[in-house]
Amino acid sequence: MQRLSWMMIRRRIAIIFVAAVFFLVLLSVRLSYLQIVQADRLASLALEQRLRPVPLLAQRGVIYDRNMNTLAASMSFEAAYAIPVEVRDPEETARRLAPILNRPVEEIEARLRRQRAVEWLKLRLTPEEADAIRRLDLPGIGIQERPLRYYPNGSLAAQVIGFAGIDNQGLEGLERQFESYLKGQDGMVVQERDATGRTIPAGIERRIEPVHGYDLVLTIDKVIQYIAEREIERGVLEANADWGLFLGVNPKTGEILALAHYPTFDPNDYAAYPPETWRNRAITDYFEPGSTFKMVTGAAALETGVATLDSVFVDPVTLQIGGGRVSCWRPGGHGRQTFVQAMENSCNPIFALLADAMTGERFHKFLTAFGFGSRTGIQFPGESPGVIPEPNARVLRWANVGFGQGIGATALQMVMAASAIANGGELMKPYLVKEIRAPDGTVVESFSPQVVRRVISAKTAEEMRGVLRSVVENGSGRQADVPGYRVAGKTGTAQIASPQGGYLQGPKSNMASFLAFAPADDPVFAGIVMLYKVGQEPSYGGIWAAPVFARIAEEALAYLGVPRRELEEAADDRVRVPNVINMEFPDAEEVLLAHGLTVQAEGQRGFVVEQTPPPGTRVEKGTRVILTFYEEHHGHGAHVTVPDVLGRSMKDAAMVLAREGLRIRIEGTGYAVRQDPEPGTQLHEGDAVTVIFAPPKD
Amino acid sequence: MDIDRRLFRNLDVPLIAVTLLLVVFGLVAVYSATFSLDPGDPYRYVRRQLAWAAAGGMVAAVSLLFDYQQWARAARLIYLATLIILAAVPLFAPSIQGARRWFVVGPVQLQPSEFAKLAIIVTLARLLAAREELARPTGLIGPLIHVGLPIGLILLQPDLGTSLIFIAILFGMLFAAGVPLRYLVALGAGGAALFAVAAYASLQGWFPLLKEYQLRRLLVFLDPYSDRTGAGWNVIQSMIAIGSGGFFGKGLFSGSQTQLRFLPARHTDFIFSVIGEELGFLGAFLLLGLYFLLMWRSLRLMAQAKDTFGALIIAGVVSMIFGHVLVNVGMTLGIMPVTGLPLPFVSVGGTSLVTNLLGVAMILNVHMRRHKILF
Repeated sequence: MQRLSWMMIRRRIAIIFVAAVFFLVLLSVRLSYLQIVQADRLASLALEQRLRPVPLLAQRGVIYDRNMNTLAASMSFEAAYAIPVEVRDPEETARRLAPILNRPVEEIEARLRRQRAVEWLKLRLTPEEADAIRRLDLPGIGIQERPLRYYPNGSLAAQVIGFAGIDNQGLEGLERQFESYLKGQDGMVVQERDATGRTIPAGIERRIEPVHGYDLVLTIDKVIQYIAEREIERGVLEANADWGLFLGVNPKTGEILALAHYPTFDPNDYAAYPPETWRNRAITDYFEPGSTFKMVTGAAALETGVATLDSVFVDPVTLQIGGGRVSCWRPGGHGRQTFVQAMENSCNPIFALLADAMTGERFHKFLTAFGFGSRTGIQFPGESPGVIPEPNARVLRWANVGFGQGIGATALQMVMAASAIANGGELMKPYLVKEIRAPDGTVVESFSPQVVRRVISAKTAEEMRGVLRSVVENGSGRQADVPGYRVAGKTGTAQIASPQGGYLQGPKSNMASFLAFAPADDPVFAGIVMLYKVGQEPSYGGIWAAPVFARIAEEALAYLGVPRRELEEAADDRVRVPNVINMEFPDAEEVLLAHGLTVQAEGQRGFVVEQTPPPGTRVEKGTRVILTFYEEHHGHGAHVTVPDVLGRSMKDAAMVLAREGLRIRIEGTGYAVRQDPEPGTQLHEGDAVTVIFAPPKD
Repeated sequence: MDIDRRLFRNLDVPLIAVTLLLVVFGLVAVYSATFSLDPGDPYRYVRRQLAWAAAGGMVAAVSLLFDYQQWARAARLIYLATLIILAAVPLFAPSIQGARRWFVVGPVQLQPSEFAKLAIIVTLARLLAAREELARPTGLIGPLIHVGLPIGLILLQPDLGTSLIFIAILFGMLFAAGVPLRYLVALGAGGAALFAVAAYASLQGWFPLLKEYQLRRLLVFLDPYSDRTGAGWNVIQSMIAIGSGGFFGKGLFSGSQTQLRFLPARHTDFIFSVIGEELGFLGAFLLLGLYFLLMWRSLRLMAQAKDTFGALIIAGVVSMIFGHVLVNVGMTLGIMPVTGLPLPFVSVGGTSLVTNLLGVAMILNVHMRRHKILF
């Protein structure tokens, strides 16, 4: 028994030995796999986790206006970050950070557990918060100075500048377009650190300096931009429009001086505003321009010889053409009119005839030459080329293009076309950025005026300037005029295409616009006002858009130092009948009485749509001028009681009055301090209440 | 007590030499891992470890005076005392890092479960040596209960790693005692299945048999990167340390993983990683070689034992030491779960060192008394 047992035990010892050797070999194989096969990879891993690169963020370039006023800059804020791999106890770390960051523990813990190289916990820390976090000295948690984008003027030129996101990356507008210039190149410091994040005194240290971003100098003028924004806001609110824009350029150079939208947004807090307010519609969206396009048709007709200034046309009232009909907006039509009068009257059938006379083939060449249907190439993301018909499109289609329907154009294209007429016939390339400068101030790239092509002869351009001046003097553009600045332009009341086909009907179905330049004989300022879905009747561009242009042009031209022309005085006691079309009765009456004329306006109120004798006629003093009102044709609204709007903002006051069917006339900016008539007064729907605003006193 | 001086001539010098080499190896590694922990006293940990080694050496030397065959008589008493002490641990020991394993006596912490290993080795050896019906499955019931009770008590602490060592001791000794291999395979399979069920039940939340951190360690073993900042961190850092050491190592005291504190528990559970990083494949392989010598020598002495009882004691000690090496080194190499078992003779830890020295002493004890002494 004992002997047998010993034999067995010895055999088992041998087996144990073999098994143990097997396991030792297993460990050795694994050991040599790690230390020989994987040695290089694991050694570089070891180095990698010691060499933690800390980025040295490049400073994003500054955006200046043309006079070196800062529009966008970078400011340093301290931000808290986590390197999740280095956070040793996410739960405890989160518990200690929660009160400082003012976030729930669970949320912070979840973020500390994310599989990311760096997790940003909070971007704009106050100095106190940053200090508190620094004092905690938690592994894997750090504070870094980060430049964040800052827009000192708030919403000023917001759609042009765009904005940069939290990673300092340009997301919209020029911030996006010039990303590669503005961004610069981040540098870094590579430092050897131990597991707790302390730098090793004798460790490796390498430093790559950041290259700061380039600065942009825009063509935008902060002052004109400010004026434009103020006035477009007022214009949108008075017209009860959905939105509006103004685009103003120097017609000789193509420099964009102002580009304003309302409603607008604050790029410092862009996420709080609806994304449609970020859009730079003047460049990215196209519209059916309507009657402002007659400027182009007219120029082409003169240039091709289809018409001269003295050509006489008979308004067919309803034109049968190409299997369709083009009707005059005036019941009964305009009768016999010269080319100039057709423009003043904005008579659609005549322009349909002019387009037809040119044929699609020739008209198409002019459209293309004026830049329609293709991008201007402005330095801006998302520019729309618009749409124009094919040369061989149907006759009716081209006839419609004659008065601005059946074509899609951007506000920018319209202004550049008007500028070509204004500057003597050359289409300029528009631009927003004048210069790109290196951080040390040296100019890296500069942009100068660029002629795209000659579109019409200098003679045609000069004739058109006269025609358009006459539209303001004697036609629908009366309210755009600025005494001494001789505004020339064309009104537009464009129907808005319905998504269901055809055009929108009823209220809020028109875009009121005004395309103009000034002074007529030597234009230095051209621009367009567009008010989309005007909520007042009548929704004419001459009523709503023209005065906006006048107010912007008056201040802008004075700011630009353009001298006012002395007003011409009548030589005898005969007077020229002033143009009061599109004016409201009280204003019209005031103007006529000031000229020594008398007024006949039998009980009607609202806007003047026609006057007899017509503007410009020389008459004896005391002559009676008969005014025709819009309401004569469209009836009068119901009685309403004037609400109290005192203390309200412009937007609020406009909304309150719109609810009652009343119009607002805005004076000043800020909060309502006076209103006329007083609250409680009975008025008719469609009547205006003048509200005077003043900045809050505090 | 009759002590014959000639007995000591029978001491196995190679075994003693290998043990001393392992202890010295450990002291050097511990110094490298700890000299920067306390800038005022770089030798703090080494001094303590040296003191424990000296104390352990003396205890071991004294133990040699007692004939191991006498221990068999006290087996019942030893077993009972072991169970009582182990039962007392979860009740009276202070909680350290969520576990109650240590008794604190003045400046020293004692881990009773370490000494319990030796007690179980001796008593199990006695149990198995007395049995003759081990060839039958029913013969396994006694030994299973004998080891099962202390395992149960240790799991209460909880200490999964030490329980694992008890299982290694049980299997090693059963095998040495001649239990047919098929029984052991069946036993192992049954145990593994039971454990799998327990783990699954805990994962599903039916039954909290395993603590959450234990489960996490198990899952991490399957994929260290599943929790790279938590439980996986240790293993990943250990593998980086060992791998980056390469063939020749980064040199003593200059392992970046060790000195820059990327490596956790570097003087205790992960001391092998320190050796791997700083001394490279050469050093680590040398250490494994020392363990091989220890094992080889012990098994040789086992074959010379004069009785089954002595042979089984050696089998138990070898299983214990070798089980530790396998689990600990395997863990640092990423092929074993993280269990927190120390590396014998090398890791910082007094009780463990004393236990292992005593274990070696037990082997020597069996060996030196292999012959009937004739005058």
